Amino acid sequence: MHVLASFEWSVIWDSQGALWGGFKHTMKAGVVGIVLAYLVGLVLGALRAHRIPILNQLAASYVELIRNTPILVQIFFLYYGLPVLGIHLDVFTVAWLSITIWGGAFMTENFRAGFEAVPQRLSEAGYALGFTRLQEFLYVTLPIGGRIALPSTINSAISVIKNTSLLLLIGYPELTYVANNIQSNTFRTFEMFTALAVYYLAIVWTLSALIRFLERRLALPEAF
Amino acid sequence: MNPLPEWFRPVSEYILREGVPETLRMAAIAVVASLVIGVVLGTLMTIRFRPLQWLIRFYVEVWRGLPILVTVLFIFWLPAFDVGRHHVQLSAYQSAALALTLWGSAQVAEATRGAVQSIPNEQHEAAAALGFGWVGRQTFVILPQALRRMVPPLVGLLVNTIQNTTIAFAIGVNEVLQAGQRQFENVTSGLTGQPVAPSYAPFLIFGYVALLFFIICFPLTRLAAYLEKRLT
Repeated sequence: MHVLASFEWSVIWDSQGALWGGFKHTMKAGVVGIVLAYLVGLVLGALRAHRIPILNQLAASYVELIRNTPILVQIFFLYYGLPVLGIHLDVFTVAWLSITIWGGAFMTENFRAGFEAVPQRLSEAGYALGFTRLQEFLYVTLPIGGRIALPSTINSAISVIKNTSLLLLIGYPELTYVANNIQSNTFRTFEMFTALAVYYLAIVWTLSALIRFLERRLALPEAF
Repeated sequence: MNPLPEWFRPVSEYILREGVPETLRMAAIAVVASLVIGVVLGTLMTIRFRPLQWLIRFYVEVWRGLPILVTVLFIFWLPAFDVGRHHVQLSAYQSAALALTLWGSAQVAEATRGAVQSIPNEQHEAAAALGFGWVGRQTFVILPQALRRMVPPLVGLLVNTIQNTTIAFAIGVNEVLQAGQRQFENVTSGLTGQPVAPSYAPFLIFGYVALLFFIICFPLTRLAAYLEKRLT
């Protein structure tokens, strides 16, 4: 166990500042991506659950296209392919845009499933009260279906955060980029990846704990 | 009447000939290894022995919590080490396959645990009453039922693994995306003696790479959805 015996804490210590900078970049792209992906997912999920003609099919095609191609290919397409059409995006724009497009597709599915799980009789009760379709959605389907969908959307948000690591390949200076850079200068592979793992697992495990908490708190009563 | 430009033919043929087999082979290795390791770990997790449960839980949470790229880079950059008398230095291909297996086996372990625990207790008791020991109960009664419930998510795992092979791009494995990138550099460098491809080359090449993945993954996604529906 030569590796463990020569573990140099000072390597991690000395790169704390750089890693923190990378973490901030990860969160910057990640948070923008997650917020926008929630918006995309809510709107498209509602369109799909209510089977709005044409828009429903368009949203379904978008979801299938994104789900069945690797996100890294999507990133490359945005970064290298789009300039041909005269669309030049800088690295940060590609960063948040690519994970928004990817996360939006998964969240569309999460919300669609949640909205479709709302019992028919509840939305009928809404209409019986004289609600319009929009009112029915806002006051019945959204609160109940959103509650059902919430845990799975957080799962998608976790995946979005993890996918920000791929932005290393277009040179976005996020966590993995920073750690990988330091380790290729210092050859301190074990130390740098330990620090990197601590960062990622702290984010991912916190969000997983949030899912378990919400699942308990938001579980619908048995009578549903 | 070929609408595609002259330079594109060798490019697409290279990606099909070199990239696609590399991607599919790596995905196949990773999925089979994930299945074997994951089913064993997931079954062991249902034994009520706390230290073992914690140990496997830690394995699962670490490998599915880390971005796969981080795992790939970590394994690839690890210095060579000795196991007994064997000197181990993993190639890029092996590193990527191992990283995908660690991630995949964590997914399978969690799915197996859930499926095994969803089998009613009566099944265990009935099998025990027939004189099966623990191993016999698991192999002949519980796992056959549990695995059936796992088929749709396992097809999903296959789709994800096929897509995740692109992460091996980062360490230079010649999978589909890398093959596309190399061809992109080739046709735009002018070094090959041929006229330089037009500026829309990357649009076409990466679009083609995306299309290949779509052709492979879309039927599998539909299959998973169909199996899921039939099961319920």
